[in-house]
Amino acid sequence: MSISSLEDPKSLTARRAQPLEGDPVLVVEDEPDLAEEIRLELEANGHPVRLAATAAEGLAAARAGWAAVFVFDRMLQGDDGLSVIEILRGEGVATPVLVISALSSVDERIHGLKAGGDDYLVKPFDVRELTARVEALLRRRGDARATWLRAGDIEMDLVERKVRCAGRAVDLLPREFKLLEYFMRRPGQIVTRSMLLEDVWNFKFMAQTNVVDVQIGNLRRKLDSTGTRKFIVNVRAVGFKLNVEP
Amino acid sequence: MLSLDVFRARAFRLALAFLLAVSAATAAAFGLIYLEVSRADVQRSAAVLVDEAAKSEDDSEDGLRRALELRLTRDIRRLDYVALFDAKGAKLFGDVPAMPAIPVDGQAHVVPEQLLPDASRSEPAIFVARRRGDGGVVVFGRSLREAYDLQETVLRALAIALAPTILLILAIGAFFASRASKRFERIHGAIVSIMNGEIHSRLPVANDWDDVDKVARAVNLMLDEIERLLDQLKNVGDNIAHDLRTPLMVARAKIDRALEEDAGIASLRAAMQGALAQIDKASVTIAAILRVSAVETGARQKRFKDFDLGAVCAEVVEFYQPLAESKFVEMTIEAAQPIPVRGDEDLMREAISNLVDNAVKFTPEGGRVRVEAAMVEGLPWVAVADTGCGVPSQDKEKIFRRFFRGERSGGNGLGLSIAQTIADLHGFQLTVEDNSPGARFVMRGSMKASLVPAQAAE
Repeated sequence: MSISSLEDPKSLTARRAQPLEGDPVLVVEDEPDLAEEIRLELEANGHPVRLAATAAEGLAAARAGWAAVFVFDRMLQGDDGLSVIEILRGEGVATPVLVISALSSVDERIHGLKAGGDDYLVKPFDVRELTARVEALLRRRGDARATWLRAGDIEMDLVERKVRCAGRAVDLLPREFKLLEYFMRRPGQIVTRSMLLEDVWNFKFMAQTNVVDVQIGNLRRKLDSTGTRKFIVNVRAVGFKLNVEP
Repeated sequence: MLSLDVFRARAFRLALAFLLAVSAATAAAFGLIYLEVSRADVQRSAAVLVDEAAKSEDDSEDGLRRALELRLTRDIRRLDYVALFDAKGAKLFGDVPAMPAIPVDGQAHVVPEQLLPDASRSEPAIFVARRRGDGGVVVFGRSLREAYDLQETVLRALAIALAPTILLILAIGAFFASRASKRFERIHGAIVSIMNGEIHSRLPVANDWDDVDKVARAVNLMLDEIERLLDQLKNVGDNIAHDLRTPLMVARAKIDRALEEDAGIASLRAAMQGALAQIDKASVTIAAILRVSAVETGARQKRFKDFDLGAVCAEVVEFYQPLAESKFVEMTIEAAQPIPVRGDEDLMREAISNLVDNAVKFTPEGGRVRVEAAMVEGLPWVAVADTGCGVPSQDKEKIFRRFFRGERSGGNGLGLSIAQTIADLHGFQLTVEDNSPGARFVMRGSMKASLVPAQAAE
């Protein structure tokens, strides 16, 4: 096989004939290459995408009310994406926003979230990480007060701290319970390593060794020993997913 | 140009101000003397004259004349002018050409221009005129020339005293100003040469510990630090280039070879995966470098909060426990009491997790990792000990530097550097000791750390 027979990314997306049925995403990013990568990845996950390259374009597109989630670069050719978000929030637009930025300090992150951003992703990032976070924003409205969770064959009693998998009781350590609960609240959704680090263990940085994988491995063995199926599957190198399909 | 600078110099301006003050004070002193001298002299003369006039009021004309002639020839009481006029105003005798223009009231009056008896010139004088019992008028007068001469002497003395003072102060001012401006000239020259790239130059220091000297010393210390950072930056730059270039070159080689070989999709995929792994390695390095910079940018101290360092250690140990178990490494923690620390909890968690990460990574199967946290002498203290291969003594300093990779290292050499940076930010000291076998990383708060809350409170 020669290299010329490899399809370029555009024809890859063209190959998918069926319409994109996911939630539409507005991406405001002034670096064309990065914007294109984001678009391809989101479309590959079924999200229709609109691109805007300037703060003004982004503001107009956001006001149109088409997108279910916004992705805003913080620095748009001299304009601050945060100010656009502030304008939108001031107008009562409640659409979730993912802020992407080259500014990585914690202060900048807090600044971004205060301005009305819902999540903050630091450049350089993996576009798959971005997609996972966009999907997490879209599904965020779960009931935090639930005392009982169910996903596929797994049931979780949050009061008694008990887990049953395919009818059998599973004995979990507290840290394993905490980890599984995070997945149970996001069934079928891609959960990235950095999301787990941040949300489950409060690690606001990338741990050096693959501790997350070891933790998942332990949890997986405890769940899988009760049956044959893999409940938590790996997803394309970026993270994991709790499988709810039978 | 230098001479102009001298007059513009601060020292010279100070000298001028000093000069003004000295001149004003001297002039005031002399002025007082001047006034006092003339006033006292005039008053004394006036008293004598009034007294003489009163005494001669009732003397007979002849007696008076004799007495007055005696006065004029043997002037004990220094009467310069004596005269007697009759009731009609005609002069009976005396050396006053005409009746002075003063009231006849027995009181002293100053006459600015009195013609001398020889009518050669006029002088200021003081006169008393008194009417006698017989209607005549007796006039006594005294020249004020001496008093006025004294005043002039005082003025001359003032001028003589002031002139050298002024010259002296000006000279001293110019001397110090030129010295100061020469010194600044030298400092300026040093700064220019540093700006031109001679980073090893230093500002001249005069060893007299004055203000300028202190500033020069401080600037030199700053330059030392900048030079050290520049060196470090250069090393880091070289290391970054190496760390990034290697995986990128490997990735490039893999892709290049796959393209050349045209060996089918399976081999192409393998090459792509290999290349991807190399690119991932490069991005991990970039992320770690950015992390150190993010921590170093400081300004975080205003976000410092109180937290329990012991609890943070326990969390980190819990997080790493599965990894340790999977490597059959026994990990224990001893953190009995709460350890109150003021700082950035997330960063401290990162620092301790880097230490624990290292410890687990370098401890062989069956080894032990022990984390301890306690208050020692009132200061927070954390130790992470392993039974790995330890740190050779020649590397004990170096391992905290960016990109240092010792024999035992397998990572990107940034974990300890991040931990060190975070420790610094909190005023903690991070050191490594022998655990025989293995290494023991100790992080202890210093007195400086206890100052951190005060800074944060500002």
